[in-house]
This record gives sequence, C-alpha cells and structure tokens, in this order.
Amino acid sequence: MIADFGFAAVLIAFLSAVYAAVAGVVGGRRNDERWITSARNASVATFPLLLLASALLITLLLQSDFSVNYVWQVSSREMPTYLKITALWGGQAGGLLFWNLLLAGYTAAAMLRKWDDQHALMPYAILVASLTQIFFLGLVAFVENPFAPIAGGIVPADGNGLNPLLRHPGMIIHPPMLYLGFTGFTIPYVFAMAALISGKLDEGWIRTTRRWTLVAWLFLSLGLILGGRWAYDVLGWGGYWAWDPVENASFIPWLSGTAFLHSVIIQEKRQMFKGWNMFLVISTYLLVVLGTFIVRSGVISSVHSFAQSAIGPLFFGFLGLMIVFSVYWVIHRWDALATPNRLESLFSREAAFLYNNFVFMAILVATLWGTLYPIISELFTGERVTVGPPFYNRVNGPLFVILLLLMGVAPLTMWYRSSAERIGMALRWPALAALVVVGALVAFGITSWAALLGFWVVSFSFLLTVLEFIKGTRARMKRGETPWAAFSNLMARNRRRYGGYWIHLGVLVMAFGIIGSYFFQQETQIRLGLGDSVALGSYEMTFNGVRQYPGPDDLLIKEANVSITDDGRNVGTLTPRTELYTRTGQPMTIPSLRSTLEEDFYVIMVNWETVLEDEATFRIFLNPLINWVWAGGFIFIAGTLIAAWPAAAAQRAPASGRRATVRPALGGD
Amino acid sequence: MAQTTWTTEQGESLKPRSNRMQYVVGGVLILAALAFLIANAMSGNTQLYKTVDEFYAEQSRLVGRDLRVSGYVLGDSIQFVQIDATTSRLEFDIVDNINNPGRRLHIVAENEPMPDLLQHEAQALVEGSADANGVFHANAGGLFLKCPTRYEEAAPTG
Repeated sequence: MIADFGFAAVLIAFLSAVYAAVAGVVGGRRNDERWITSARNASVATFPLLLLASALLITLLLQSDFSVNYVWQVSSREMPTYLKITALWGGQAGGLLFWNLLLAGYTAAAMLRKWDDQHALMPYAILVASLTQIFFLGLVAFVENPFAPIAGGIVPADGNGLNPLLRHPGMIIHPPMLYLGFTGFTIPYVFAMAALISGKLDEGWIRTTRRWTLVAWLFLSLGLILGGRWAYDVLGWGGYWAWDPVENASFIPWLSGTAFLHSVIIQEKRQMFKGWNMFLVISTYLLVVLGTFIVRSGVISSVHSFAQSAIGPLFFGFLGLMIVFSVYWVIHRWDALATPNRLESLFSREAAFLYNNFVFMAILVATLWGTLYPIISELFTGERVTVGPPFYNRVNGPLFVILLLLMGVAPLTMWYRSSAERIGMALRWPALAALVVVGALVAFGITSWAALLGFWVVSFSFLLTVLEFIKGTRARMKRGETPWAAFSNLMARNRRRYGGYWIHLGVLVMAFGIIGSYFFQQETQIRLGLGDSVALGSYEMTFNGVRQYPGPDDLLIKEANVSITDDGRNVGTLTPRTELYTRTGQPMTIPSLRSTLEEDFYVIMVNWETVLEDEATFRIFLNPLINWVWAGGFIFIAGTLIAAWPAAAAQRAPASGRRATVRPALGGD
Repeated sequence: MAQTTWTTEQGESLKPRSNRMQYVVGGVLILAALAFLIANAMSGNTQLYKTVDEFYAEQSRLVGRDLRVSGYVLGDSIQFVQIDATTSRLEFDIVDNINNPGRRLHIVAENEPMPDLLQHEAQALVEGSADANGVFHANAGGLFLKCPTRYEEAAPTG
C-alpha cells in the first residue's frame, strides 16, 4: 500500500516534469505568462512529490517491509534506525530516487529564487531542467523502481543488510555530498542553455550560474575529501586516493567546474571568453552525466561496484542527446558569444586565469583519457588496456606543480597588463625564502628532487598568498584601522577574492601533506609474538597480546594491544582490531593510529583468522604529513564558505543595490 | 593602477590580429606538450585487462607481461599461510562465472594483508603477471576486491 503510494508519487512527478517541459516551450513561444507560471508550478511541484516518495521509502525501510525488493536488498531488521534511514541512498534504485529528490530541490530553489531576477530565461530554464528531470525520473519510474515488490512474491524473514564497511559516518555523509555536488551542476547548465536558447547572453546568466556553480562545487569538494577520509579510516591500505575510475568520475567534473569558477571572473570583469565559459558550464554538466554513467553502468571496471543494470545504454543515449542539444545551440548562437575584447598582454590577470584554465583542462583531459582508455584501446586495438595510479601520478604531477606555481604568482598580476619586471621583483624574496625551506629539508636528509621541487613550490606560493593578506591588511591599517579590524574588514569586503585565497592556502596545505605522504610513506609487515618489537622510522612497536570479546549484536572482536615508542620515548598504546560479523562471516579490519602533525603511525592486523592471543601479524604504515591533507581540507571548505557567503547576501539585496555589492568583490586591484 | 596602463597608446597599438598567430602557435605547443606528457606517462604504465578465459586463450603470449585480471573468488580456495615472521602468502582461485566455473586462475600474493572483502563470490581485480606454470603473482599492493559502494545482491531469480 505504502509502496503503491510511493510509486504513484514518482509517476506524478514524472508526468509533472513532462508537462513543465511542454508548458515551458509553449509559454516561451507564445510569450504567455500563464503558461510560463503553470510550467514553473509543475516543475516546482516535483519537489514535494519526491519528498513524499522518499519519506514513504524511508517508512518502508523503518518498517523492514521486505515485500519491497529494495528494502530487502539494502536493509535488515537488526540495523540501527539511522542506517535504515540512510539506506535510502544505499542502493541503485533508492540512490536514483534520492538523486531525483536533490535535483528537484535544486530546480525548485532556482525557479523560485530566480523567478523575478531571470524571468526572461525562465521558460527555457524550466524546459532544460525538466528534460534532465524527465530522464532521471523516467529511470526511477520505469527501470529502477525502488518500490517494486520482491520477485516471487514470498516475503523473506530478513533482509540483506548493509555491508559493515559502509557503516561509517564518512560513508553516511559522503554520498549525499557527492550527489549534492553532481545534481547541483545541473542548475548552471540550465541557465546557460536558457541563455543560449533565448539569446539573452548578457551578464545575467553568468552571475546566476557562477553562484550555483559555487554551491555545487562546495558539495562536490566536500564529497571528495570525505571519500578520501573514509578510505583512509576504513579500507586499511594506508592511502586515501587511488585514481580509480569511480573516483575520477567525480574528480573530472570538479576540474571543469573549478576552471569555470576562475574563468567566469574574466567574463565578469572584461566580457571575454564567453564562448569558453559556455563550453565549461556545458562540459561540467555533461561530465557529470558521463561520470554517473561510468559509476552506474559498470562499463569500466572499477574497484567500486554498483549492481550491473540495464541503465547503461539509457544513460549513453541521454548523454548523446544532451551533447547534440548543447552543441546545436552553441553553434546557433555562436556570433552572440563573440567578444570584442582581446588579451592585451601575456602578463595580465586575464592571461593568468587563462593559463590556469589550460592547466585544469590538461589535468582533466589526462584523467579522462586514463579513465576511458580501456574503452578507447578496445575500440582501436580490440584489447582492453588499463592504466593505474603510476600513469596519473606521472602525468598529473607536473601539471599540479604548474598549477600550484600559478596559484602563488597569478594574484600579483594586474588586469589588462602588468610589468614583468614588477612581478619579478615581487617574487624574488618569496622565491629565496622558499629556497631556504628546501635547504633545511636537504639538511634533514631529503634527497628526492621531485619532493624538494614540490616543497619549494608549495612554500613559495604559500608565502605569496600570505603576503596578499598582509598587503591588504596593511593598506587598511594605513587608513587607521586596528590590525584585526583591517584583517577582518579586508575579508568581509572582498569575500570572494579572499575566500579564494583561503581556498588556495587550503590547497597548498593539502599539497604539503600529499607530497609528504606520497614520497615518504614507509610500510612493513611482520608477525610478532608476545613482547616482540618492530621498528619503523623513529618508532618502535611492542606487542602485548590480544584480547577477544563479544561485541554488540553478533560481533566477535579481537583487539591487539601494542605499545609505541618514538625515539625511545613512550608515547602510549594502540589497539588495532578486527570485528567479525559472525552471522555473515564478514570481517572488518579497523586500523589504530597515532596521529601527529608530523605523521601517522597506522597499524592494522593482517588476517583475523591467524590472530592468536599471543601472536599476530601486523602491517604498519608510516604516513608523513598526512594530517596536513585533512587540515588543508578544512581550510579549503572554510574558504569556500567565505567566498560563497556574499553571493547569498547580494542575492537577497534589492535589485538596485545588487551591482554595488557585487562589483567591489570582483575588483582586481 | 591597472587603468593607467590599459589606456596608453602602447596598449591600443597591440593589435589583436598580430596576436592571433601567436595564439595558434601557443595552442598547438600546449597541446603537443600535453600529448607528450600523456604518452610519456603511458609508456611502461599500461596493463592488458583480461578475464580468466581471455587469459587462458592467449596464455603463452601473456606470460611475464604486466596484466590486470578480473574474476570471481572461489571461497574454498582461499589460503593464508604465514611462512615466517616477515613472509606471508595469500592464495586463491578466480573464475569467470561462479555458477559455471570454467578454468581457475590461481592467484598468489606475497605479504599482502587479507582483504576484508576476500570471500566466496567476491569480485577481485589483480595486477601482476603470470609465470610459466600459469600461477598469477600479484604485484605489491596489486590486489583489489570490489568495494561494496552499493552492496546489492542480484535478485533471487536473476
């Protein structure tokens, strides 16, 4: 009964989206306000309908109604309530419903918020948003129905349950963040296409698009960082990023989105690169669809597996359709995308943004190439060939170095043109200071030239970015502000710019951690008896025995106790353990780590079967600087929040005041 | 300060047309550099991707080559042996189809932790190479079990 209502809500939402698309076109063609309003209402209505459908699916999950196939697949009676709720996105069909809910939420928010502001674009915005909704709702309604009854009609006594590896806070929050990021990029695409179709390619659409991109980008960034943290905490291989196709699928649209967030500034400031920005917005959306296709179709072999399903060809068809649709309108409006302004100097702010875009796109192309290579090679040679992490590290490593270098240098450039000599002067001292840092590292015994180069670039750009804050603060202090007031006003008045610099600092701090953990990770594996010790780096670990005890539910826990010394100093004990879900026989290895700013000492037990009370095998990782990756992630997200804040404030401001509030934030100098 | 520079005569005299050729050359150079970077990173870093049956179809050609094989784990073949304090060996067989197992490929991984997900029917991706006896030796860190991102079992009938 509940399932029937849920399915009905999905079906009505689907029909509503179809109607919205049709009414939008009719309203746009006839310029008839009633049709346009009706289209908007139908489009907005999908959100409450999907909210209802999702609530009903959650109800079914909470009731453990295993007559519904999806509920049986992803939940079991003993699962705690919060896991039953989050099982909404624990499988393909529910995940797609949740995806639709978020998409409808974004669409409704965009329609309502932008109704007056971007009214001229609305009929076509509704059309494009509805096209996307029709596809995704169609999948839920006709292909992957989460409300479908269980096959055979016999209701099982209990469900499959959720894999223990996914019972981690990071895994509960990570998928919604990625989904919010992915679906969020639909809105920029919607306004870009609406601008193309309506021919109203003035600055309105780009301003709207930029803000929505920032929101989607924030969530996607969070999703990527949380995914890395989950892998590090749970998977027990001591790493956080493996260049797996599914990871790449979310990283690739992030790259084009990031490129857009930079190049959009040139369009706002100088009305240049209109066509390029259009290309980036469209690409980001299409890459999201491509990414979803890769993730959900199983077409590329990945460590992450989704259930094989029939939606692959449908996705492919939809992707093709949207490419044709987008390309047609770009060609149709090609002349309107031309710009009268050109680059005047290769040493200018706009040129610097252009270089930044080149590098982002280069990383994107290389990563996409590697991800799709199995398909490409099979097409041309008949043999599937894959590339692994060494490929990505070798191709993207140098590109990231250039990117980090630009990050430090670009803010020194001026709009239109700047003097190479002046920039050179400004770079001299930071370059030397960074060299001193490298000298110190050499003195500490670091010899890897690649790591030293990396550390030099990170220190150099870090100093330059900090100097930007100092310069800005001092300029304000000259006007009589106290240092703290000057610093906080600087950011409050230019949130987008200084939020951006905070993001840069976050990236540099992350890069510091990534270089450290990539180049200097050490690991060892050894079996220890009672009282035996093993040394790794400056650490020594002594095995004190294993305690075995029952946990909650059907858990059997084996917990080792090891004491750790660092440079001979006792720094405490660690308790790596394995939890065995005795009913399913599924073990879960839980690392124990000692975290410092310097490094993580990360210990797992190698095989629960061979763990005895007085003997166990351990694998130990020493991950230098890894906590800087997470710290940098925090700074990154904080910076994004700073940058995104004024947009919301400006949006709420009356139309007359809007320009005044936005303009200063764009100001280069 | 920016505004003082852009209105100068010099700024105006820098004609866009004279720049266009430079951009084309610059663009081609950048693309060439990227192509080189990709090609350079590919060399020596590619692996043929084979299923078990595909592997056996061309076994003699594939011996010693860097491969990535995929297959489903046969639960009763899993063995973890601790040889001495610093050496362990993990062994298991994979097949293309668990319900209709054809030939088995024997995987050996030295000093690898026992993956939590290494169980009957799990899908394994293994990077490594086969020796002349047909035993497939996993590279260090080359053993991947499919992560249950969406842990779904096929419906009972299908």
